[in-house]
Amino acid sequence: MTATSGIDKRLKTPNDSPLKFWFLAPLVLWLGALFLLPLLFLLWIGFWRVENFQAIPDFSLNNYQEIFANFFSGSRYGLALVQSLWVAITTAVFAVAFSYLIALALAFAVPARWQRLALLLAIAPFWSSYVLRLYSWQTILSRNGVINSTLKQIGLSDLRIDVIYTQIATRIGLIHYLAPILVVILYVGILAIDKVLIEAARELGATRWQAFTRVILPLSRFGLLTAGSFAVIVGLGDALSGNLLGGGAGRSIFGKLPTYASMIMSDYSSSTNLPRTSALATILIVVMIAALVVGFIAADRARRRTA
Amino acid sequence: MMARNPWIFLGRLWLGLAYAFMFLPLVVLILFSFQKNRFPGFPLQGWTTGWYGKLFSDGTLLDALGHTMIVSPAAATVATVIAFFAAYALNRFHFRGKTALLGLVTLPILIPPLILGVGFLGLLARVHLSGTLFAVFLTHVVLITAPALAIIQLRLAQMPGSLEEAAWDLGATEWQTVCKVVLPFALPGIFGAWLLAFTFSFDEFIIAWFVSGFQPTLPVAIYSVLVAAIDPSLNAIGTIVFAISCAVLIGIELILLPFLVGKPRGDA
Repeated sequence: MTATSGIDKRLKTPNDSPLKFWFLAPLVLWLGALFLLPLLFLLWIGFWRVENFQAIPDFSLNNYQEIFANFFSGSRYGLALVQSLWVAITTAVFAVAFSYLIALALAFAVPARWQRLALLLAIAPFWSSYVLRLYSWQTILSRNGVINSTLKQIGLSDLRIDVIYTQIATRIGLIHYLAPILVVILYVGILAIDKVLIEAARELGATRWQAFTRVILPLSRFGLLTAGSFAVIVGLGDALSGNLLGGGAGRSIFGKLPTYASMIMSDYSSSTNLPRTSALATILIVVMIAALVVGFIAADRARRRTA
Repeated sequence: MMARNPWIFLGRLWLGLAYAFMFLPLVVLILFSFQKNRFPGFPLQGWTTGWYGKLFSDGTLLDALGHTMIVSPAAATVATVIAFFAAYALNRFHFRGKTALLGLVTLPILIPPLILGVGFLGLLARVHLSGTLFAVFLTHVVLITAPALAIIQLRLAQMPGSLEEAAWDLGATEWQTVCKVVLPFALPGIFGAWLLAFTFSFDEFIIAWFVSGFQPTLPVAIYSVLVAAIDPSLNAIGTIVFAISCAVLIGIELILLPFLVGKPRGDA
């Protein structure tokens, strides 16, 4: 009997099994109930209204009208959005440049046998708590903090830095958070480059600099754009660094404005007006999808050019 | 020749500077958890373990650490189980809508947790679940299933198909094959996935801020202390958390990294 059932099993194709359904069901159920449903709910709540501090299901455009009426005056949501985009994009540029140089140094300036250890060291801070790292940066950068008190001790008070509660400090916190992730993305990309191409360029008389600009850099473009888009998305969505290091409304070339993410957080904690917070979050989703589409198109072009 | 190359020298110099930048906050955190200074800075005012004493007598942050140590292991375990079954199915079967499903799984990572937090709050408040640790658990599973799935898939992709076929031919049922052949093979991947999921949940702030209410997880509790005042007890809890992370990190180095950057090159 067991032999025949064994034969039955062999006759079935491996693709045909009840496990296909049962093994995927938990994932689909969990994501459906606790991911898709909340997202749809978020889009819907944006149209609710608030009466006597109660959110009431409705289909009103009041929240959006209120937000757009306050876009450049009052709460200045629009200016916060501009601040966020500016901080996120500049952060992404610095973070990617910083991490790319680390990835290059790891791949080309570290002997092969030490590379894993060196990579592990570079990404080690990622495993420590983000909030605590920001707290530590706060004590480092603050007016009488670690850096300034050290400068004072060695008699260089003139060099004291004054970046805490500006968007420069926000960027430092974000870059510190992003760098380990970006290093991994970019390092894996550099490893994937065929070493023969680099050797060929060198043997044909290219200098190291030429080999870099003509071979390595063009072949890294896809990784660079992936890393850059990721950094922009994280930068747009992060409120912690802006709150703790940027002091909520940190100074930048656009003035003392909070980032949009900080504004969503403070808007909710001060008003607990969930419908308006949901509408603000929906606007952020739209902006992000736009940013992603631009990133994807650029990355796709880069891939086609190098393929 | 190689050693005198200026580019190599510059590369190593940059790496040194980068390490200094990356480790500065950790060094400061640990150093000032053992210093008497009320405000971290120089000159140092002498060694003390007083901040640890304050941390343990005060208790708020320790309570929060306790909350986190309930939520994060539970969420990591459930996420890893879901991820293992899904990774097996995705690895073995072909079906319509597979690409769409893969996209759906990745989406929670691409959408900023801030937005998810607002969405979770809206839904969970509606069913009167917000403001509890259970809410944090439910939502963290969503967030950490995707990374766990990716790690386990990497491992299962290395499994030769003949392994399963041999088990079937020898008369094992499909379920037996999964338990006795696939599961042992995937074990390093599962362990790595659990550690990664645990770390993500352990460190997650913004979703927990929205849904945890009066049962804050550790990052939320730290944040509320932080916005109130500078308190060197934070250095102490930070050092403790860092010690926990180091333990996790060693686990990751042993299990996870070989998958990420390929096999170790020879015996160093």
